[in-house]
Amino acid sequence: MVRSQSDAKTIVFEPQLCTGCRYCEVACAVWHCGRIDVAQSRIRILFDETRTTEHYSAINCQHCDDPICCAVCPPEALQKDEKTGWVTQNSSKCVGCEMCIVACPLSVPFFDAALKVAVKCDFCFGVPECVKHCSSGALRVYAREEAVRFNERLYLSAKEEQ
Amino acid sequence: MGIQATRIYRFDASGCNGCDIEVLEILALVSVAELGVEIVETPKEANVLLVTGGSNLKSKPELESAYAAIREPRLVIAVGSCAATMGIFKGGYAMTGPIDAIIPVDLYIMGCPPRPQVILGALADALQLKVEGMETLLRTPQGFRGDPHVDQGKCIGCGACANVCPADAIEIVESEAERLVRFMRKDCIFCASCQEVCPTEAVELRAGDSAWFRKKEASTSEARLERRTCLVCGTPFLPDAQMNWAMSRVDEKLELGTGDRSKLQRSLNICMQCRRKSIGEVREAKSILASLASRASGRGARC
Repeated sequence: MVRSQSDAKTIVFEPQLCTGCRYCEVACAVWHCGRIDVAQSRIRILFDETRTTEHYSAINCQHCDDPICCAVCPPEALQKDEKTGWVTQNSSKCVGCEMCIVACPLSVPFFDAALKVAVKCDFCFGVPECVKHCSSGALRVYAREEAVRFNERLYLSAKEEQ
Repeated sequence: MGIQATRIYRFDASGCNGCDIEVLEILALVSVAELGVEIVETPKEANVLLVTGGSNLKSKPELESAYAAIREPRLVIAVGSCAATMGIFKGGYAMTGPIDAIIPVDLYIMGCPPRPQVILGALADALQLKVEGMETLLRTPQGFRGDPHVDQGKCIGCGACANVCPADAIEIVESEAERLVRFMRKDCIFCASCQEVCPTEAVELRAGDSAWFRKKEASTSEARLERRTCLVCGTPFLPDAQMNWAMSRVDEKLELGTGDRSKLQRSLNICMQCRRKSIGEVREAKSILASLASRASGRGARC
């Protein structure tokens, strides 16, 4: 398979830098629906002080190369843009079967009860608001290859699964 | 009820008049006089009350007095979705229906509006009339849709049909053990949106069944799906069939390594709330995605 992903970018999250201010959630909600309603936010920050390491974690779309959400979407409303690397959803095609919500291990898409469709992170079609407003630099935009290496170090090497 | 004694009084209890037009269409199909049926102008002469519409504040007292005025044995036939369930007027500020909340109903005819042939068939059935060629008349014509049926074997219970249904004719009822997808055919307006969006082609708007019912509950088509229990919190969440369908779809489209596949399988056994609740679960999920990404980037480098 030939992949032309030189321009593809991904949002990465570094748990050690996160301060838990949750500005990203607010910025996301404001950009997408014009009001401070974090329930509408496409990103979620978790905080757990009982853990020894990694007190923070972010639930954000990884804009996968082989997206599980796209694979299960019956009307193919979810598409991966090969050029930009964004996994975006076309709400006019979405039928509200909630299959993407079910299949994504992070359950990133969520169901919008008013529109009766699933909604998810769309990379703000450019510079993501969550990254723009992250004061500590925990959320960053990396080139695809770099992000893959970064996430490998963070989530795979610690468990020695590679 | 003797054929000679059948006198019908039509009552429009605030519908859109679609049903009334279809009732009048019967006259184009058969000669009512030949059937021994008379359509009368005052309720006092009648013994059959044919009601269309869902009844509103103004028509409710009129409907009650019409019912009181018709002769025994009274027979009330509710024509169309509005009469049965208030249809598209459900929730309207002036609505007082459905008809059976006001007067006892003996027969419900489904459809929005029902075809004149169906109304005629229902009348023939209720009044024991003999209509020439009724079988042919009742058959749904070529190019027209029948009523919705759900295939229990194919349905995965995702609820897409309920989300697109403009008439709210499909409801999802969740109990402890199962999820029930119920098609209330009396509410159906035959738009076939459910058939179009169903990922497994479990819904079909097909002709053939009788479209009138003595009991309201009889007009449903249902699928029952067993719910899966969350590994973490132990509460039932979505149907087993939906999870299995998602997994089979992933197997079809993506090539997962055995390790990733079993991890994904595990994640499908966890409810959506628990997946997003603890950092441990989020880490687990991100490791699946990171491993998929690293496989994909490796593949890109080789090619």
